[in-house]
Amino acid sequence: MKILEVTKSSITALGANKVRTVLTMLGVIIGVSAVILLISIGRGIQNYITDQFDALGSNLLFVSPGKVSFGRDPGNSFSRNKLEEKHIKLIETHVADIVEQITPMVNVSETVKYKTKYYNAAVAGINEQGKYLFDYSIDEGTFFTRADVRSQSRVAILGKSVKKELFPNQSPIGQIIKIGGDSYVVIGTAKEKGSDFDEQVVVPYTSAISSFELKNISRIVVKVKADKDMNIATKLIERALLRDLEEDDFTVLSQADILSTIQNILQMLTIGLGAIAGISLLVGGIGIMNIMLVSVTERTREIGLRKALGATPFDVALQFLIESVILSVTGGSIGIIIGWLASFAGRAYIRTEVPWWSVAIAFSFATFVGIIFGTYPAVKASKKDPIEALRYE
Amino acid sequence: MSQQTLIETQNIYKTYKLGTEIINALSGVDIKIKKGEFVSIVGKSGSGKSTLMHLIGLLDTPTSGKILLNDKDVSRLNQNELAFLRNKSIGFVFQSFNLLQRTSTIDNVILPLKYSKTPKSEWAQKALKMLELVGLSERKNNKPNELSGGQKQRIAIARALVNDPDLILADEPTGNLDSKTGAEIIELFRKLNKSGKTVVIVTHDEELANVTNRKIIIKDGKVSKSL
Repeated sequence: MKILEVTKSSITALGANKVRTVLTMLGVIIGVSAVILLISIGRGIQNYITDQFDALGSNLLFVSPGKVSFGRDPGNSFSRNKLEEKHIKLIETHVADIVEQITPMVNVSETVKYKTKYYNAAVAGINEQGKYLFDYSIDEGTFFTRADVRSQSRVAILGKSVKKELFPNQSPIGQIIKIGGDSYVVIGTAKEKGSDFDEQVVVPYTSAISSFELKNISRIVVKVKADKDMNIATKLIERALLRDLEEDDFTVLSQADILSTIQNILQMLTIGLGAIAGISLLVGGIGIMNIMLVSVTERTREIGLRKALGATPFDVALQFLIESVILSVTGGSIGIIIGWLASFAGRAYIRTEVPWWSVAIAFSFATFVGIIFGTYPAVKASKKDPIEALRYE
Repeated sequence: MSQQTLIETQNIYKTYKLGTEIINALSGVDIKIKKGEFVSIVGKSGSGKSTLMHLIGLLDTPTSGKILLNDKDVSRLNQNELAFLRNKSIGFVFQSFNLLQRTSTIDNVILPLKYSKTPKSEWAQKALKMLELVGLSERKNNKPNELSGGQKQRIAIARALVNDPDLILADEPTGNLDSKTGAEIIELFRKLNKSGKTVVIVTHDEELANVTNRKIIIKDGKVSKSL
């Protein structure tokens, strides 16, 4: 009996029990759509992180306190912070020819107030070079100057989201805002830059240190001159810092290092999410096997009849196997559509993406599940003795 | 009428194990059915007539002895070879019709063709011809549950005939029918036999057996009489 004929006959058989067929497929539909959706969300998170780094600009090196090594206990990296302002001078003095710009960075999460309005902003303390280093574009007003940094001026630049929230209908320039306990004058607003930058309030790092009574700086960010090799620059900065610090006191990482490490972690996370969703697909497969076993028992007489009329054991097995594959493949296809639509709907929140391989994996896994869980019922059907089967009531 | 032997059993035995008990369903049966015969195999429940029918119908193989179909030994064939021969040479008619409820009558008649080598383009035409022969061609698109018992059995007979088998093997074909309809079905078998088909009816009903040209009476797993 030809495959096409068997398929037609299987569709008729499945159509005779529509509710049961749909319920059986539901397991596979949910499994496949979960695989597609979770992988696309994982991809969305990866995209988000990549966007963040792109917004930072290129050729950046980050000097962080402690020995940062992904994969080791991250607690060590925060155990002691010996980074101070003097280390900037150390780099500027000894490796001046590779540095395009350099800034210390102080990060504090703080509530920013204007009259009755609040905003939980990320306060970033940098120096005047940070404007170029992070590629800020000023929308209104000005950036702070070297003099502001030296004199610990209480001046602030607002990110786009902060401005919108605190000053929806007015220019913030010249207005006084409260950061923590201190008053700052708004001297500028930044153009939309995307990601976390829009939620920042940028102040001179010296002002942040005094406002928040900090001893150390959070990190040093160096923009390396375009014609310099990043690996050599890393080595040179390390050597300069070793004049004052121990090897375990700091880590120099390039943007690419950080990005690739984070991407690796997220890749694992995405695969992990997909695998968890895959378990539900497996459960769907067990549902198919369950129903196919019921179907084989119900249709015992039909099996006996078909055998009496000349069906070989293979013909019978093929028919039941194709029925379970139709269940899983149809369920898989519907699941892909639903997963894709859900992922599309998720774009309102995060830049989700359905990679072709996730569709391929989900679809082949669904088919595979149909074959694996369909084989046992099919073999059981094919082994039925025609005489016994014809007598079955 | 041709005198060539269609099917022959030579000293066949069939034993079953039922738990620890061994049951001798057939103990040394020799029968011969010639081409074009109209024969009944008669016996009470438990006589072994059903076992004999299963062996003649190639649904089963004997424990010992030989079965010859068209002078060829078929008693030691495997499942696939038996399936092929059943499809080609045997047309079954059952007491309870055994039609597939979810498909039309013509699709039920086509079913044996699907397992044969007949090209698909000929299926519908062949099936329709058989439906005409049993007088139900205008019901070809009906589902079996829209037909009467007698009509269902006619469909089953059309299905048995569609591959032009050597032997029509009917197991209590009138058992589920009233006597008038039953008589019509018997008349149909007689007509088929007149046109050259070999027909074997297996029954416990002596009266039904009387309409055939020859009776083979089975008792205690042996042929007790052949009339």
